[in-house]
Amino acid sequence: MRKAVLILTTIFLLAATIALASCGGDGEATGTLQFHANGEDFVREGFVSKDGWSINFDHVYVHLADITAYQTDPPYDPHVTTIIDSDVEVGLSGAYTVDLAEGGEDADPILVGEVQNVAVGHYNAVSWQMEQASSGPAASYSLVIIGTAEKDGESIDFTISVEEEYRYSCGEYVGDERKGIVEDGDTADVEMTFHFDHIFGDFDIPPDDHVNIGATGFGPFAALAEDGKVSEDLASLQGKLSAEDYQILVGTLPTLGHVGEGHCYCDKQPQS
Amino acid sequence: MDNKWKYIICLTFLLLTIFFLPTKVHAHGVNIEYTSSTTIEIVTAYDTGEPMSGAQVVVYAPDDPATPWLTGVCDDEGRFTFSPDTSKPGTWAVQVRLAGHGDIVHIPVGEDAVASGGTGGYTILQIVLMSVCVIWGIAGTALYFLRRRA
Repeated sequence: MRKAVLILTTIFLLAATIALASCGGDGEATGTLQFHANGEDFVREGFVSKDGWSINFDHVYVHLADITAYQTDPPYDPHVTTIIDSDVEVGLSGAYTVDLAEGGEDADPILVGEVQNVAVGHYNAVSWQMEQASSGPAASYSLVIIGTAEKDGESIDFTISVEEEYRYSCGEYVGDERKGIVEDGDTADVEMTFHFDHIFGDFDIPPDDHVNIGATGFGPFAALAEDGKVSEDLASLQGKLSAEDYQILVGTLPTLGHVGEGHCYCDKQPQS
Repeated sequence: MDNKWKYIICLTFLLLTIFFLPTKVHAHGVNIEYTSSTTIEIVTAYDTGEPMSGAQVVVYAPDDPATPWLTGVCDDEGRFTFSPDTSKPGTWAVQVRLAGHGDIVHIPVGEDAVASGGTGGYTILQIVLMSVCVIWGIAGTALYFLRRRA
């Protein structure tokens, strides 16, 4: 009888050891991390440029690659450093052409992709590359903006394309909620946000707001229209816009990338 | 040691204990209480230097990074002051937003700022229980073989 009790006790304790061991340990807790791209209401609903052009977008294609989220401690600050230092990072493999205007006025931000079984924790930094697409609707460009602008009865169909490539390194998302906090078994998301009011300006904010001061507006593009149409890329705009307007335009492109209202460091990539 | 010396030693300890026990002194008593706290002031401004007066402020504590610990508004000079709970060491986050502009600042609080987020490792209870189990396993095995030899 005593022998049986001894054996049973030993078996029970061994089972308890295994069970306890399985309850702890690094790398056990995982969740899912989603990557979204967001052109905000400016792209989904349209807006009025700083110089009074009412702009609506049919398509805004961005080609995104090398998309990565990081857990950083101390938190990455793009105002202070350019390199994101992290022990935990999650990369979304592949390259994606995303239409930020997809889905209409009430659409949610675009889901670019997700990675499952990622380590839990706070993904408080994100980086991505906006690079030339090799095929598809943005082929040969990193950004293609297609839409219609109207002012004083004049309507202009426009296509503005950007062939330059940029790498954005961003800190924590700034917005209505905190993003990127992955808990065991749950799903969290990070967002790549694009501020197109930085190119065209915003009629609804004061003219001396830094966004409007640094924006091109739509007037310089409208001046290039023929038969109500304008279709240009950076190479052609360099010869057609005034030197000042062109410099303002190329100066706005590195400021497109944000994380909500949070800022990013931007490296212009050398053309291959 | 004879009993006389035992009594002397015990009596000495007793007297020392009585003399050095902390006691309340009532004559001309002064009662001073203090609270140790850390106050953090943030000053917000646009790139132009204009204060972000009226900006919305959200403070997050490190132990619950998804839930606002405190919300408030910057004053006319773009200032906001708060006292973090020092029992929650780590990186506190303060988010400031106004009319489409915003940013977040991270502030370490406590001597050893502990990184928030992340799980893993074993609790003390788990370690103790596992140790007991392992020791029992070794001892049990040894006893089993000793008993067979006997």
